[in-house]
Amino acid sequence: MRAARQVWSGVYNLVLGLVTVFKHLGHKAITLQYPDERMPMFERSRGVVVLLSDPETGKLNCTACMVCARICPVYAIDLERSEEPDPETKKRYPVKFEIDNTTCAFCGLCEEACNFDAIKLTGKYEFSVYDQKTLLYDRDFLQELGRDVPYEKKKKPLPKAKAAPKADPTSPKPEEPASPKPEESPEESPGEDKPEA
Amino acid sequence: MMVDSPDRPEPLTGDRNLETEEFVVNMGPQHPSTHGVCRLILTMDGEVIKKVVPDIGFLHRSIEKIAENRTYHQFMIYTDRIDYVSSMNANHAWCVAVEKLAGIEVPERAEYLRVIMAELNRIASHLVFLASFAIDLGAVTPFLYAFRERERIVDLFEMTCGQRLTYNYMRIGGVSKDVPKDFVSETKKFCSYLYPRVDEYEAILTENPIFLGRTKGIGLLDLPTAINYSVSGPPLRGSGLKWDIRKDEPYSAYEKFDFDIPTGENGDTWDRYKVRIEEMRQSARIVEQALEGLPEGGIKAKVPARFRPPQGEAFARIEAPRGEMAYFIVSDGSTKPYRVKIRTASFCNLQALPVMARGWKIADIVAIFGSLDIILPEVDR
Ligand code: SF4
Ligand code: SF4
Repeated sequence: MRAARQVWSGVYNLVLGLVTVFKHLGHKAITLQYPDERMPMFERSRGVVVLLSDPETGKLNCTACMVCARICPVYAIDLERSEEPDPETKKRYPVKFEIDNTTCAFCGLCEEACNFDAIKLTGKYEFSVYDQKTLLYDRDFLQELGRDVPYEKKKKPLPKAKAAPKADPTSPKPEEPASPKPEESPEESPGEDKPEA
Repeated sequence: MMVDSPDRPEPLTGDRNLETEEFVVNMGPQHPSTHGVCRLILTMDGEVIKKVVPDIGFLHRSIEKIAENRTYHQFMIYTDRIDYVSSMNANHAWCVAVEKLAGIEVPERAEYLRVIMAELNRIASHLVFLASFAIDLGAVTPFLYAFRERERIVDLFEMTCGQRLTYNYMRIGGVSKDVPKDFVSETKKFCSYLYPRVDEYEAILTENPIFLGRTKGIGLLDLPTAINYSVSGPPLRGSGLKWDIRKDEPYSAYEKFDFDIPTGENGDTWDRYKVRIEEMRQSARIVEQALEGLPEGGIKAKVPARFRPPQGEAFARIEAPRGEMAYFIVSDGSTKPYRVKIRTASFCNLQALPVMARGWKIADIVAIFGSLDIILPEVDR
């Protein structure tokens, strides 16, 4: 009797499993044929990092404030700041801005930390190359990548400093957009002309 | 049986031909059912396992040491990589520990969002378990189904934080971004979609005679042994103890939700599987309740970028999908932790494998190892 019940239960459950599987026969495939079809990326997708430019002037938004380079957990950003501000925009700009895509973790901390809408992680994900060295993206290439990236100004540039306090290494970095008072440390002042130490 | 062959000039006689020898089998490091790179050194007597020695360390990245050179904010991305199948939970544990250290109050909405993400991630992690466990035992169909459902969870995560594996979503004091507009409706849709799917997996696996033959009564782990080996998570609950940090030491907003803790009876492989299946349903219940009661408000407490917690120590643990995950932080008052110790469930659960696998056949080790749901990067860190 027990054996009969076991056999019955076994057969029943095998059939139940098969019925479940066969129910799926008519379904449409959920996979895509990749190189021909592509998944649309979400707006927030974190892929290759690009530098954004001002659509009007075509210049980089970046003021080379170094915040992103300091927050990057894997030290993937290497940047150098111009000695003189740009004559047109009256802002400092990066003379060198390199992102090492071999180490970048696509964490998004740089985008979060930047106060000038200058750096963004995009939905681009196809960046395989044959030569590893070409993964070191320089400023102009990053700018080119960012040309067609739409963005909205989520953070206003900081108002001009009234009286810039002395360089205080402990002052909170502008990671907090909500913070009302304009935090001003020399490297972060957009249009500052006076020479600094 | 003796065969006369030219290779054996001297026919073996006497007792010697009846002698059996132990045979050492190397399973791994690259073995599909070790789920990563783990080497199991099996001492076999015929087909019966006499001894198992897990050889770990292939994935060691010294994350604990790295923590000493990173700020508290920066270390968040490394927690993703401790347990990449449930990064949200690893993020969560780090946040809870640092917040405890610095005494930061987290806004209510952020706590709810954390719970939603952690539970969705628990479902995703259990789906990966189900998929790999089923395919280890030769059932290919549930593998495909489970990954289909996981894809939807991963889409929800990508929609919110932009990544599909290393989410880096939580922040000290809250979460990084608020959920997008359609997240709540999409997640609700997903939850109602999940229940029938879990029933489907059960229809294929739970009572399937082949599956029962491979799992029922195999790899017994009795409760005292489990406790002595600090086993936690589903393997412990499978052995019959109702122990879940979410209930017993609630963190975040878990005390506000109503859910059950499934337990097994015998502590065999099947029980551990069943506990996880049931946990998926319970997690979906928690997600539904949290979405229902999602409060409005801020998502992040104010934490300066140059965050310096006070000197001292903090220990916090959470219930990750694989068991208890805990961080012990020693702070010297600077922006970087002085020392971080990470307790991961996989490491402790793996220690019980030699006890569980002893005396079973070599084919069973796949089922036993699979039922522990070990993630190797979590073992090695
Ligand atoms: S934080 Fe923004 S503005 Fe500052 S250096 Fe980086 S990209 Fe440029
Ligand atoms: S995404 Fe993260 S790792 Fe990559 S450059 Fe930005 S901060 Fe560095």
